[in-house]
Amino acid sequence: MFNFKRPRHKLHISDENDLRLSDLKPGEKGRIIEIGGSENFRHRLIEMGLTRDAEIWVDKYAPLRDPMELIVKGYHLSLRGMDAQKIAVERIA
Amino acid sequence: MNFNIAIAGNPNCGKTTIFNALTGAKQRVGNWPGVTVEKKSGHYNHADIKFDVIDLPGTYSLAAFSAEETVVRQYLENDEADVVVNIIDASNLERNLFLTTQLIELGKPLVLVLNMMDMAHEKGLQIDVDTLATLLGAPVVPVVGRTGEGIDLLKEKILRVSTEISMKARSIDISYPRDIEIEIEKLHQLIQENDVNDKHSRWTSIKLLESDKQSRDEVRLHNNGTDILGQAKVSIDKIEGLFKDTGRAVISLARYGFIQGALRECVVESLVDSVDYSRQIDRVLTNRWLGLPIFGLFMWLMFKLTYDIGSIPMDWIDTGLVALMNFISDLLPDSMFASLLVDGVIGGVGAIAVFLPNIFILFSIIAVLEDSGYMARVAFIMDRVMHNIGLHGKAFIPMIMGFGCNVPAIMGTRILESRRDRILTVLINPFMSCSARLPVYVLVAGAFFPENAATVIFSMYILGIIAAIGSGKLFSRTILKGMSKPFVLELPPYQRPTLRSLILHTWERGYLFIQKMGTVILVGSVIIWVLGYFPTEVELDRDYGVERTTLTQHYDSGLMDLESKFKKSVEKDRSGYHSEMIAYESSSSYLELHEQLELLKDELSSEKSKQLYNLRQQEIGDITEQKWIGRVGKIFEPIVRPLGFTWRESVALITGFVAKEIVVSTYGVLFGVGEDVDEGSRGVISGLRSSGMTPLVALSFLVFTLLYTPCLATVAAIKRETGTWAYTLFSIAYSLGLAYSLAFAVTYFGRMFNWLS
Repeated sequence: MFNFKRPRHKLHISDENDLRLSDLKPGEKGRIIEIGGSENFRHRLIEMGLTRDAEIWVDKYAPLRDPMELIVKGYHLSLRGMDAQKIAVERIA
Repeated sequence: MNFNIAIAGNPNCGKTTIFNALTGAKQRVGNWPGVTVEKKSGHYNHADIKFDVIDLPGTYSLAAFSAEETVVRQYLENDEADVVVNIIDASNLERNLFLTTQLIELGKPLVLVLNMMDMAHEKGLQIDVDTLATLLGAPVVPVVGRTGEGIDLLKEKILRVSTEISMKARSIDISYPRDIEIEIEKLHQLIQENDVNDKHSRWTSIKLLESDKQSRDEVRLHNNGTDILGQAKVSIDKIEGLFKDTGRAVISLARYGFIQGALRECVVESLVDSVDYSRQIDRVLTNRWLGLPIFGLFMWLMFKLTYDIGSIPMDWIDTGLVALMNFISDLLPDSMFASLLVDGVIGGVGAIAVFLPNIFILFSIIAVLEDSGYMARVAFIMDRVMHNIGLHGKAFIPMIMGFGCNVPAIMGTRILESRRDRILTVLINPFMSCSARLPVYVLVAGAFFPENAATVIFSMYILGIIAAIGSGKLFSRTILKGMSKPFVLELPPYQRPTLRSLILHTWERGYLFIQKMGTVILVGSVIIWVLGYFPTEVELDRDYGVERTTLTQHYDSGLMDLESKFKKSVEKDRSGYHSEMIAYESSSSYLELHEQLELLKDELSSEKSKQLYNLRQQEIGDITEQKWIGRVGKIFEPIVRPLGFTWRESVALITGFVAKEIVVSTYGVLFGVGEDVDEGSRGVISGLRSSGMTPLVALSFLVFTLLYTPCLATVAAIKRETGTWAYTLFSIAYSLGLAYSLAFAVTYFGRMFNWLS
């Protein structure tokens, strides 16, 4: 539902066709595999609890479709689609 | 004896509530030196000891990632605090404890406060406080900040940690995986060998492994700094090779590992049917369809309340000021001092003072939005729009506030975290057409575009928005490029704001307005008064005294003429009157004549006062032209002539620099309609029309009025919030430049195509 035209952000270990946080629909749950982007961005997210293997739940998208609201470690967090696109996840039930 | 207490914690953990509960109203707000980060301090007494409390900015970490984090870290590393009180949101333990692990490593005497225990219980969390205290090596006090529950116990714990040596001893270290510990130990030993004075060498070692710039810079100054940094590099390489990630990420992960381990031992999550109330509220407030309309409604309400309720005390202040001015005028003899006091000080400062109710109401509404947690939702809803100009969603609030008044709007940019965002929002804010500009639009558009006044006024607002967005895009691509931070925004749980914090918040900001704006406006008003008052003796081409006498005589003789004509008519009429029944003076024909006389006399005397008034106003206009203010207008006339403006526009625009409404009253003075004209006044309208101004030039004047530097108070606010004269002067120059070029374009192209001539 949220289609990004810009080229996908390159990650270290994940390949081009893997699942990103921005691909998850509201109500879906994922487990973080890797976070890309600038060092500051990665570290900020890690410090806020988006660590590897952390479970993350997409609650909803904003009325204008961006940013998205997530639930991680029991609190609500908002990220832009372009940033969520830098987070590789696996879908969990 | 006194102790310094520093309060640290995550944003939204209730830090300020605890700070307020500890210090009461005894607090001061200032800025941290060199940065525009608010510094709040206060004090309280407990057991005859004075405790000075500093409320540090809320941060998630001590990584020196933002201005706030840098401030917190420098303060804590500088040994100024005797005790650090770490506020922890008990309902959001895991993430809150991340900061705590760093505070433990920093090695300051620490008191941990578990705030929002009520919410943790609602969530079904049972926290074993004693075990947590043992695991973290610091006393833990559970409190509910909003109700004040547990605050006395907290004061007692702070006292004990401050005074008892045994309480200060820190027995635990955050333990890391073995491979990391080995590297920490190597660095630790090296630092201790070279600098025995480093009180937090373990902290420094860990920060070095995180490639922390601030620690590296400090270590470089140590004896053997290069050796230490060399060892750090070797250690980092080793860790990165082992863990396949940066040292900083590995350490952060290990911290979370430690926290998770601790929480497993002391937190029981019971399977209660807990309801996430915030989430339920957000189902409506940030709903895909309802979110925007509801936000629009809130914004509309905010404006409505600010202006409608504000206008009531505004009238009182206005009435009070007029009464005060009259009282002083009556009390003091007509002198320069009386004029300075009445026209300069009270008139000038009073013009701004009437806005105080609006500002206080606006600030209290914003305090409600902030304290309740809705402000974060506004950022969430509007981010998509603001992102276009390279801004954070929260920047939308000050932009909207700008329609009311740019001064509180610019002060409102404090809700933004990054300095770059704050400066960008401050710079584009003046283009949002504030309410002070409306009277000018109403007047000029009414005079030249009576058919389309509403359209013209509306287009001014739109032009302002376009100028703001365009400038925002320009700045974010040029002077404020690349400093943007990723959008990582916590949406905290909704909370009912407490009255105490609302009053404190509103007062803090409102007081700044009174204090800072008051001084600037005072000086500005006095300057304008001086320009309008001197020179006291002016030479006029026309002798108004003679003209006035001639005029009076002319009308007085006219009145006498009328009387004699009446007498003649009466005599003539009486000679033809024969009835004996009714006295002539009661006859209908006499009464008719008398009525006619009265009517003509009335007409004549109203004509007389009108003429005298006009003459007086022409005199005022002429005198103003001779005063310094008029001379200044003449000096600047050549500059504004390409725009089609005369010395009058030049004066109006210069005085409008103090406050935009003054443009209207200046025109009133220049066209001799009196100082307190209302916007619809026919005198100014006819004056403007007969001054040779064309509709085109009027449009150009409106464009200039919209875009040029709003007012002195705004300049003062810009200086305050950006903290530098460079941005302040830039803002003035940029808005003047933009106003001039666009107004010039209107006049130039308009003349070229013969529009609106």
